[in-house]
Amino acid sequence: MVTKKTVGQVTEEEKNEIQQLFERRNGLNELAKILTPDNDALYQKLVKDMGETGTKFQNWWDRMSAKYQWDSAENGHWEINFETCEIYLITE
Amino acid sequence: MLEYLIIQLDDTSTSYCHYKIGKKERRLIPLEMLKAGIKFGMLENLMIQFVYPDYKLPDDYAEAIETIDHSKIVSSLCENEVLKAEADVIIFHEWTELSLAQLDEKKSYVLRTAKADLFDRYLFLKDVISKVMRLNIVITDVETFTEQDFEKYKQILHTLSEHIEKEYAAGKAPQFNILTDRMMLDKMNNCNAGASNITLAPNGKFYVCPAFYYENEEDSIGDLEHGLDIKNPQLYKLEFAPICRHCDAYQCKRCIWLNRKTTLEVNTPSHEQCVVAHLERNASRELSDNIRKHGTFMLEIDIKGIDYLDPFDKREEW
Amino acid sequence: MLYRNPKSWQLGIARTITFIVTKDCQLACKYCYLVGKNISERMSFETAKKAIDYILGHEDKFREESVIFDFIGGEPFLEIDLIDQICDYLKTEMYRLNHHWFNSYRFSFSTNGINYHEKKVQDFIKKNASHVSIGITIDGTEKKHDMNRVYKLTERGSYKDVVKNIPLWLEQFPNAGTKVTVSSHDLPYIVESVLHLYSLGIHEVNINVVFEDVWQDGDNTIFEQQLIKLADIIINQGYYKDYACSFFSENIGKPMDREWDNNNWCGAGKMLSVDAAGNFYPCTRFAQYSLRDKKALIIGNVETGINENLLRPFLTLDRCTQSPEECLDCEVASGCAWCQGENYDAAQTNTIYQRATAICKMHKARVRANNYYWNKLFRKLELEGKRDEFEKNKKESNPTIC
Repeated sequence: MVTKKTVGQVTEEEKNEIQQLFERRNGLNELAKILTPDNDALYQKLVKDMGETGTKFQNWWDRMSAKYQWDSAENGHWEINFETCEIYLITE
Repeated sequence: MLEYLIIQLDDTSTSYCHYKIGKKERRLIPLEMLKAGIKFGMLENLMIQFVYPDYKLPDDYAEAIETIDHSKIVSSLCENEVLKAEADVIIFHEWTELSLAQLDEKKSYVLRTAKADLFDRYLFLKDVISKVMRLNIVITDVETFTEQDFEKYKQILHTLSEHIEKEYAAGKAPQFNILTDRMMLDKMNNCNAGASNITLAPNGKFYVCPAFYYENEEDSIGDLEHGLDIKNPQLYKLEFAPICRHCDAYQCKRCIWLNRKTTLEVNTPSHEQCVVAHLERNASRELSDNIRKHGTFMLEIDIKGIDYLDPFDKREEW
Repeated sequence: MLYRNPKSWQLGIARTITFIVTKDCQLACKYCYLVGKNISERMSFETAKKAIDYILGHEDKFREESVIFDFIGGEPFLEIDLIDQICDYLKTEMYRLNHHWFNSYRFSFSTNGINYHEKKVQDFIKKNASHVSIGITIDGTEKKHDMNRVYKLTERGSYKDVVKNIPLWLEQFPNAGTKVTVSSHDLPYIVESVLHLYSLGIHEVNINVVFEDVWQDGDNTIFEQQLIKLADIIINQGYYKDYACSFFSENIGKPMDREWDNNNWCGAGKMLSVDAAGNFYPCTRFAQYSLRDKKALIIGNVETGINENLLRPFLTLDRCTQSPEECLDCEVASGCAWCQGENYDAAQTNTIYQRATAICKMHKARVRANNYYWNKLFRKLELEGKRDEFEKNKKESNPTIC
């Protein structure tokens, strides 16, 4: 059974940062479905960008979890509510 | 409140403003219609301005016109020299005519000019400004101004401003609409077509101004038989013009016809109109400051420094 | 799979750019404001591409943080191949140009839902899963829906063809809301329609009365009675906890200050629509197929771009300048909406500065019913000690519907 528990909250600026990365990551993923290697320059840019954005995304969670010391769980992961800036711990 | 009635005596009556005369054939207003127009003006307590064609009117028309206090607007090309001598305002459509004309120091003149001619020949205006009671410049293609034109116009205003300053220093007070009007104004003084003045055309119908008549004869706001019927009359008033009511380029013509032509709304000026008016406003401010170096001048009028040329850009602050 | 369909995404900071991809539709809804629908005006990809090149190439003119690319018709999904091509081009170009919208965009659709299940539509949804938002229009019960939403040739009602797609739609967009339009002869069916939509699993019903001058004497009374009945049911049966109906809003029915409450209601001019001919409009309602009595208000085209002077009246328009005195003095003014396109269409002159007031009595009826709803609901919640809980969790609808 999936459970959801509020474990903290980030600032508006912090939320904006991850929201932009989230949007970009989604955009890159969907662009990857239509971009083919024959468009070499753009394809190379995309591959590099996906790597960089993924790293920045993970860095945000690492930084924030270190800053706020949220509860964690072995079979869980955190999610953010972009409307309220709340952080949830989702466990199964 | 309506104050003025402009009567176009003929379809070929001179243009005194931005618009071109849209009809080439003579159509003189029927005499009975003219008399009815004059009566309408009397009943509504309106000051009448007659706009003349270039040919001589029949005597019975002249008689009818003289039954009411009025102003005469006449072209420099009018063949009736007596009428020209009596005219309150003489309209020039050509720079060459202006340069050849015998100017009267007690008269007001209007020069209708394209921007290109103004940019080429503006220095000649110094002489005219010094010779007449008042000179109004009407730029007939103001809606075509580009960024480069704005720069040029700014420079022209500066040059003419230096000349006017010298005239003031010499004890004279020339009137030149695009530079001296704003120095004297503490509130909007615009054309106000549709609000304080309307036009009676030779077809017996009323229009917001002659330009509306020439653009579309169907676009009338009533007739002599049934009276005025202005739809959405509030939109001709300053309070219902969101940009203009926040503006202090008080000398701006705020041409209702150009507004509609460029933005499709009678109450909204174009970017070009606003910038031109603000270049004039700012030049007036500079002129006013410079005149004050020679003595006390219009201290009650304070034209503030501003950081914009188009009030539209400041709309978030309203 | 769940797709995101956030309510009022980036409200106020997103530019809406609408592609009128076709003026054709399978239906001929009786209240449809699109009076000039036809089968011939279909957008070509070349036109769409030119529009996109112009828009993305003028980032200085489109500075909003986010963008919603909206696709309408007619029925937009009739042109799913074109839409797919347009969206691929948009994504690629936004990325190639490093356009700031690549980080914040959505593809939005208002559909009649008839071909929602088709493979091409479903493939498109899956392909653009994180960026798609879809609203299906269903008017309520079969009877109410089929009164208006009929096929254009046979006049057969479309309810059955739409409702079969609702479960799939809600599975994919569980937070999705539907849009309901009410005209004079629909009034007696409001209660049953809203409850029927709730029963289908639609939790957000965005409903409004048409702005056009269609109202008959006594309609306001019927409207008020329907809303009071609906209020009783929503409250007594507890729908208010999980469902929303935009007729009931806490913020309507108050006097408005001339100075501080002077914003325009409508976003026309802050949006942009482009049609098959490549013409730009301040909103779709200014395209010729939406207008009864006036000429289209075109503000540019894909070849020459936007004439900024034509946007000035829209961007400086405020509530007081366009409203008659009776609206300015109205004691229940707040929440009384208007459509700039309908104002233009109904105005005595060619102006957007004359507010149409055809819905005046309907708004007042709504306010009275609304007062009843909130007074009754709050008293109930207070007696139950649940007011605070309600405030925290209350479900809101989107009050602005075009």
